Amino acid sequence: MDLRTKLWIAAAMCFLVVGAVVVAYSARPRALLVIATTTSTVDTGLLDYLKPYFDQKFHANMTWLYLGTGQAMAVAARGDADILLVHDRVRENAFVASGNGTHRVTIMYNDFVIVGPSADPAGIAEATSTVDAFQKIAAAGASGNAAFVSRGDGSGTNAFELRTWSQAGISPKGKSWYFEGGSGMAPTLRTTNEKQAYTISDRGTWIKLQSTMRDTLNLQILYQGDNGLLNPYGLILLNETRYPNIQSQLANDFFLFMISDEGQSLIADYKVNDQQLFKPVFGKPETIGLPLETAEIEYWVAQLEANGMKPPSWVSANLGG
Amino acid sequence: MRGALSGWDVIISGVAKAVQLILSGDPTVLQITFLSIVVSGTATLLGALIGIPLGTVTSLKQFKGKSAVVQVVNTLTGLPPVVVGLVLYLVLSNSGPLGFLRLLYTPQAMMLAQLVMVMPITMSITISSVSAIDPDVREAAMSLGASPLDETLIMLNEARVGLLTSVVVGFGSAISEVGAIMMVGGNLLGYTRVLTGAIVLLTNQGEFAEAIALGIILLSLAFVVNILLTILRSKFAGTSSYTASILVSPAESRSA
Repeated sequence: MDLRTKLWIAAAMCFLVVGAVVVAYSARPRALLVIATTTSTVDTGLLDYLKPYFDQKFHANMTWLYLGTGQAMAVAARGDADILLVHDRVRENAFVASGNGTHRVTIMYNDFVIVGPSADPAGIAEATSTVDAFQKIAAAGASGNAAFVSRGDGSGTNAFELRTWSQAGISPKGKSWYFEGGSGMAPTLRTTNEKQAYTISDRGTWIKLQSTMRDTLNLQILYQGDNGLLNPYGLILLNETRYPNIQSQLANDFFLFMISDEGQSLIADYKVNDQQLFKPVFGKPETIGLPLETAEIEYWVAQLEANGMKPPSWVSANLGG
Repeated sequence: MRGALSGWDVIISGVAKAVQLILSGDPTVLQITFLSIVVSGTATLLGALIGIPLGTVTSLKQFKGKSAVVQVVNTLTGLPPVVVGLVLYLVLSNSGPLGFLRLLYTPQAMMLAQLVMVMPITMSITISSVSAIDPDVREAAMSLGASPLDETLIMLNEARVGLLTSVVVGFGSAISEVGAIMMVGGNLLGYTRVLTGAIVLLTNQGEFAEAIALGIILLSLAFVVNILLTILRSKFAGTSSYTASILVSPAESRSA
């Protein structure tokens, strides 16, 4: 056998191997559900925790894209994800209004906390409001005593932070004390830790990172509890007419699972360091001061019942049924 | 495990964790490692199948604009992965021109992204190693009546160490790449998450020991591949009877 023959055999074998691999991996597995979501639902471990329950119940393979809310919405608007789980009410409404999404409900919430070095050079522990805390940070920053790390990634937390700056009458961009990280919540908290600066975080990611980093996380919650710091999460079903390629059936299943009695109880039961990270709120957004979602809730309760699932107990009481 | 974890503690516990993960045969880690090998291996293989012939032709043929082609290929070896990822994402997206292929967030999309990066590397090293062969070899072959195909095979045979290097370097850059594959693969757990993507995610989440553990697995992979190829190379580097046999009796060898 001369070299040429050997080369041909080698080439043929290469093609066979490549062909086999391509066939083995071809086409997305049918039951793969891709959730476009914000970093906090991933960083807190919530989705990892819910996955086995959902996968088993619907014989599915639940997976997610780890993005900020802004990017998650952009990806979903291009039809590259099956369902959207995010936290920026303003943009969520715009997303549905533009016809990209068909249904939207508030499913859970936690709150934002402002964290910083324990010495608290800006003195925000004594702040009277979130806006006041931001003003104190800006003042200390201007005199070189404090710094602030922003997500800077167009996420829901970033949008909340920018709205707060604007309410405080401050435009922080370009200031020497203001850093835009351009990354998720946990990495931003780590940057804040290294710089001993301030940042705003959802409580869930904060608790989770505290549990993984332990004593190496030298930051503290310095301001919390303001009603304005509420952080509600919305679940949005995408428009299957506009995006015919998405896994709309599985997305619908996921929607039902998350708002069902089972899903809502699982969310309530998810704890890190004995602390609850998310509070379920499907069917009762008015209890945290959000607008009523009566039409959506009635639609979904009917869907739940049609699929042999139960709404959470508080919902039927709420609907008077 | 209370108490401050200093940098060294994290790295040391990472090493311990790596050993533990490898020995326990954790299915998730195995799957992630396997996918890394399959994706980067396929990309490297395809890159070699395209890059070596193209590189050989480029370096053996005289044509107009040859030096421009070589310059372009050399420049493409430095393609920024995030740019490759961004362009491929937009092309493969459901709203993109090739969206109908449904390739976005699949292992094949990751292979494609790595292929785009590996192919210029393989091609560039092939060009330089074939060009570096003593022109006397080619002239001798021609004067002895070797056909163009035999001539090409002789040149490839002479350049074999360089070709092997091109494959090793290609695989090395593929398996360590993260920017492009995260953008087109989506880093989906159990489907498109490879070692580099998992390391990024674990680092983001502050799970440093696990991240270091996967880093060690990645490093070991590159190490094993390098050792294998060093062995191959040392075998290959010996005198080739093939060139000699063709040079001595090209007609006989061709008819064999």
